[in-house]
Amino acid sequence: MDVLFGAFAGLGAGAVFAILGVGLVVAYRGSGVINFAHGAVAAYTAFTWDELRNTTHGAYVKDDGGSIFLPWFDPIPEWGFLKALHINNLPVEIYIMNDPPVWLAALLSLAMAAFIGFLMHIMVFRPLRNAPLLAKVIGSVGVMLYLQSVANLNFGGANRADNGFWEFTSTNEPIRNFLGMDRNLAGSTLYLAVAALIIGTATWALYRFTRFGLATRAADENEKGATLLGYSPQLLAGLNWVISSVLAGAIGILFIHRAGPPTFILFVVPALAAALVGSLTSIMGALAGGFGIGMIASMGVNATSYDWWPEWLPSDGVRTFAPVLVMILVLYFRGDRLPIRGTVGVGRQPRAPFAKHPLVGLGIGIGIVVLMSNIFTANWESTLTTTLLSIMFMLSLTVLVGFLGQISLVQWSLAGFACWTLIRLSADGTKIRAMDFLAIDGPGWPDPLAALAAIIAAVILGVLISIPALRIRGVQLAVVTLAAVVAIEDLLLRNEPLMGAGAATTNPTPDPNWFGVEVGALDEKTFRTDYWKYTIFALIFVAIGGLIVANLRRGILGRRFLAIRSNERAAAAAGVDVARTKMIGFGVSSLLAGMAGILVAYKVPVITSEYFNPFVGLGFLAFVYLGGITTVWGAIFGGLLAAGGIISEFGSLHFEGITQAYINAVGAIGLVINAIVTNGEGVALMLTNRSKEMTGVMRGTSSSPNEVSGSIDANTQEVS
Amino acid sequence: MSVLLETKDLTVTFGGLNANNHVDLKVDSGSFVGLIGPNGAGKTTFIDAITGFVPTSAGSATFGGQDLSELKPHQRAQLGLVRTFQSLELFEDLSVRDNLLVAAYPTRWYTLLQDIFYVKQKKNDVEEKVDWALEVAGIAHQADILPTDLPHGQRKLVGVARALAAQPNLVLLDEPAAGLDTAESNSLGTHLRDLLKHDITVFLIDHDMGLVLSVCDYIYVMDFGKIIAEGTPSEIRTNPEVISAYLGEEAGEIQARSAEELRDMTIEGNE
Amino acid sequence: MTESSDLLRIENLDTGYAGVPVVRDLNLYVAKGEVVALLGPNGAGKSTTLLTISGLIPILSGSIFALGEEVDSRNPHLMARRGLAHVAEDRSLFFNLTVNENLKLGLRPDKTGMEAGLERALEMLPALRPLVNRRAGLLSGGEQQMLAVARALVSRPKLLLVDEMSLGLAPIIVEQLLPIVRDIADQTETGVLIVEQHVNLALNVADRGYVMNHGELVMEGSAEELLERQDLLEASYLGGELEGEG
Repeated sequence: MDVLFGAFAGLGAGAVFAILGVGLVVAYRGSGVINFAHGAVAAYTAFTWDELRNTTHGAYVKDDGGSIFLPWFDPIPEWGFLKALHINNLPVEIYIMNDPPVWLAALLSLAMAAFIGFLMHIMVFRPLRNAPLLAKVIGSVGVMLYLQSVANLNFGGANRADNGFWEFTSTNEPIRNFLGMDRNLAGSTLYLAVAALIIGTATWALYRFTRFGLATRAADENEKGATLLGYSPQLLAGLNWVISSVLAGAIGILFIHRAGPPTFILFVVPALAAALVGSLTSIMGALAGGFGIGMIASMGVNATSYDWWPEWLPSDGVRTFAPVLVMILVLYFRGDRLPIRGTVGVGRQPRAPFAKHPLVGLGIGIGIVVLMSNIFTANWESTLTTTLLSIMFMLSLTVLVGFLGQISLVQWSLAGFACWTLIRLSADGTKIRAMDFLAIDGPGWPDPLAALAAIIAAVILGVLISIPALRIRGVQLAVVTLAAVVAIEDLLLRNEPLMGAGAATTNPTPDPNWFGVEVGALDEKTFRTDYWKYTIFALIFVAIGGLIVANLRRGILGRRFLAIRSNERAAAAAGVDVARTKMIGFGVSSLLAGMAGILVAYKVPVITSEYFNPFVGLGFLAFVYLGGITTVWGAIFGGLLAAGGIISEFGSLHFEGITQAYINAVGAIGLVINAIVTNGEGVALMLTNRSKEMTGVMRGTSSSPNEVSGSIDANTQEVS
Repeated sequence: MSVLLETKDLTVTFGGLNANNHVDLKVDSGSFVGLIGPNGAGKTTFIDAITGFVPTSAGSATFGGQDLSELKPHQRAQLGLVRTFQSLELFEDLSVRDNLLVAAYPTRWYTLLQDIFYVKQKKNDVEEKVDWALEVAGIAHQADILPTDLPHGQRKLVGVARALAAQPNLVLLDEPAAGLDTAESNSLGTHLRDLLKHDITVFLIDHDMGLVLSVCDYIYVMDFGKIIAEGTPSEIRTNPEVISAYLGEEAGEIQARSAEELRDMTIEGNE
Repeated sequence: MTESSDLLRIENLDTGYAGVPVVRDLNLYVAKGEVVALLGPNGAGKSTTLLTISGLIPILSGSIFALGEEVDSRNPHLMARRGLAHVAEDRSLFFNLTVNENLKLGLRPDKTGMEAGLERALEMLPALRPLVNRRAGLLSGGEQQMLAVARALVSRPKLLLVDEMSLGLAPIIVEQLLPIVRDIADQTETGVLIVEQHVNLALNVADRGYVMNHGELVMEGSAEELLERQDLLEASYLGGELEGEG
């Protein structure tokens, strides 16, 4: 009975996953885009709602409430001279009224959601409609990061505790002794479930019975056919974006009494699983999938309270692993080994030229870093090593995403796994530093050995993850790996029985000694961070990583990687073992990610699993894409641009009032523009001025062979 | 001459329809065999089935005496059974030479280490094979540019060259002349004929009857998934079934019985 | 050439993909109530021509006037609203929708007598009537082709393009389908342009014909004229090696 109660308790969460899943299906059918920003739309709408209603201020009070904030920020800061020029700033806040009624607040919030949907279509996905998959994924990831940053700027970083409205409140009486199970069910649960069923069914009916719905289904299946019959696929796509966003906004408002707006952003993960249950095209399938995932996860969490449940499977992990499991099962059994005819070769991939003289570049790079290290103060030295660390990690994305074309979002978690494994293996049960709260049990391996083992562990996990990837490709891989990020954090990183006492809270990092040299970033004597020996250590790691990547690109495997990225069918026909080559790519990428994890462990004295949350990983992907996903130089530019990197630190130092949220928002915009304009070749290739060549090739083609030799058959003649 | 490729009763079914219907076909070593037929007859499906890109529902295919049914596409390619694609399917991000090198380098367990430490390869037989393939296809002077920068006809040749790069025993060419003009098509024909001198057996699918009739030793004709005729070019040229498959005369005659008298007369006169 | 009654007029058209012309210097017209056959071996550029008329492929140079206006490839969906229907080579059916839903999508909402259009299409293709609630993906090849034709007819087009109606179909089915095209032209003054690989059959229903090879027009004339020049027709299909045949 108790198990069954778990299922009922999951109806509330299931309702959110279901409606978000339905929204994802709507957007996908309308435009073929899997929208990673879908949860962020719900979050922004929920923030808008709470700001309008202002029922509880929570910890953060911006003003008296009653305003809406348009989904952008004022790019013109109020610096002295700009202020003096009387430049009109971009309007952001619009005051409506104090304490608006529920209907008005709901209407305005949903209008905001619709507006965001419209903007996403016009500004991002319409321009990207013929772009390669990676650009579309990056576009939607960019929107997600953008909305998160703008919500941060407009509504403050704090969470909101909103009591909700009508029956959808946290103060609702619980249903006591639910169905005689001797447990109390939260009062709003059944209302949420019914509301979701009604919304879901209404959406289904809209697509089932109206001409608009018919046309959408038709255009989804065969865009050419719909165009020939007089339907504009782009108009349909725009309408579907609006509907999708309104659905997300609606469930955001209904659920706000249970979860703060920022939480919604990651609800996109179970929602994606729900949408996959519906094969991304069935609304009823997504609805059922959402409820199913909510209920299964709740049952699993319920089960962890039993005595017989193994201690090493924490309840959070069970909750977040449920969607991953559902996704992998659905995709693995539906996926085909090779894409069918006609589905390959959409859009042009970013070019991946190779460095002719990587050693020269390496020498210059080392020289610059050593010079900087000598000039910089401790703070700047820290920025320098953050940059190196970012570059190290981004190299793993260069191999996997840039060369092999596999959009995996899980690599940063592998860095985390290496970091955690290293901490566990090198610990010996004593406190490392005087300031540490706790000591971690462990075998106490010497540092180089522990590091090596940690990297190998990351490679093994990475290759294991690649096995489903052999059958799951394209954007679906991105979906599954995003879910895996959340699951790895809860299941492996925050797993104290497995990873040691500090895994879920604060993990004290080792004080590394490699062959007699202290290579950690913290100087024990002076307590200054980023002791120069660490800088050199990190530099050596990055140099090794950079050489591996550059050499790989020049070698046999690099060519095979690009061949697979370009066309798996043709690669197989050319005798390339696609499965094996992909696994090698995942392995090499995981090796580089593991090395980045070692650098993280040696840099900070204590670390929490927050450091490896999905947004950090997505941020890295975003910035390496901005720098250039296909080259070593791109990773270097990406590292300089990324949060905490030299360029962004320089920005925040010299322009007062620029916060990290600004940098992220600007970065996200840059990302989207980069996806649209340079197709991911990024700053690096732009600087080498090759982009001009490319546009030249695309515009004017070399003369057609037909024009040269065009005489027609001598035996044929005109009759008329 | 020994039989290199042989299919017996090969059948491919798509949704209840036989795209290939009990196809019996033989390709001898060192011969130049053609497969022709109208659009939609199932010719590409046949190549897909032989190279492992679509599953066969009945029948068998052997290559050099080895049963192919359990082999994956890349394993078949490594055996020396390679193909080209109708829609090119080049690696557009790789230079022409690199396109060929992908196919030319054999897989070794130490390839990864060799790459990471950038063990510089000496001018080896692999590079020589690639040079040879570029030479045969007549695109040696364009080896270092991207395929997207080439005109359509030349890109076709890159596809052919890539198939040749591993020096296969048999190359299956899927409409290499589609989209080429007459002159290009003729010059392709001469290039292909040269392959026989290098011990490469050729199996050619094309719509361009002129090309097929002029270069092939032996021709199979397919319609509705079935082999409807086979023979030497001169036999095929005069075969009434072939002409009707291409010009639709059979259908025309049925039509003639039913409809307007006036137009019937113009058809009757034709052979 | 009665210019005023031309539903379609193509002048000096170059069109193709990625800037490379597949069709060069094409001139062609279709008048009201006329069936015109566009013939030629595969790869000649016939389908490319039709797709360009529908606005799905941008024009490289030259011009196409269809139904009184110049074709605008930026808004291809407007062509259908002007009265153009195109039965594509791949049929472009919606396999997950029923026959009835497929047909409904062909109806133009801005026209009166929507149901009449549906009824007329089913009258011309009565074989579809018992299948209206079946999913299009479950139909046989011939039934799918009938559906594609019917879907084009329900909008009561002024100009109809039909691409390779006989593709993959048994002759017996082709024999049923092609005359429908003739009937449409005769009954409703619709101009019809058909691309067909069954040459004789096509010329049998057509008023005039054009023959393309390697992207260029090599013959044109009335159906009777073209049928009389069977030798030339065969030449353009079998590679132009007439001498070889002795």
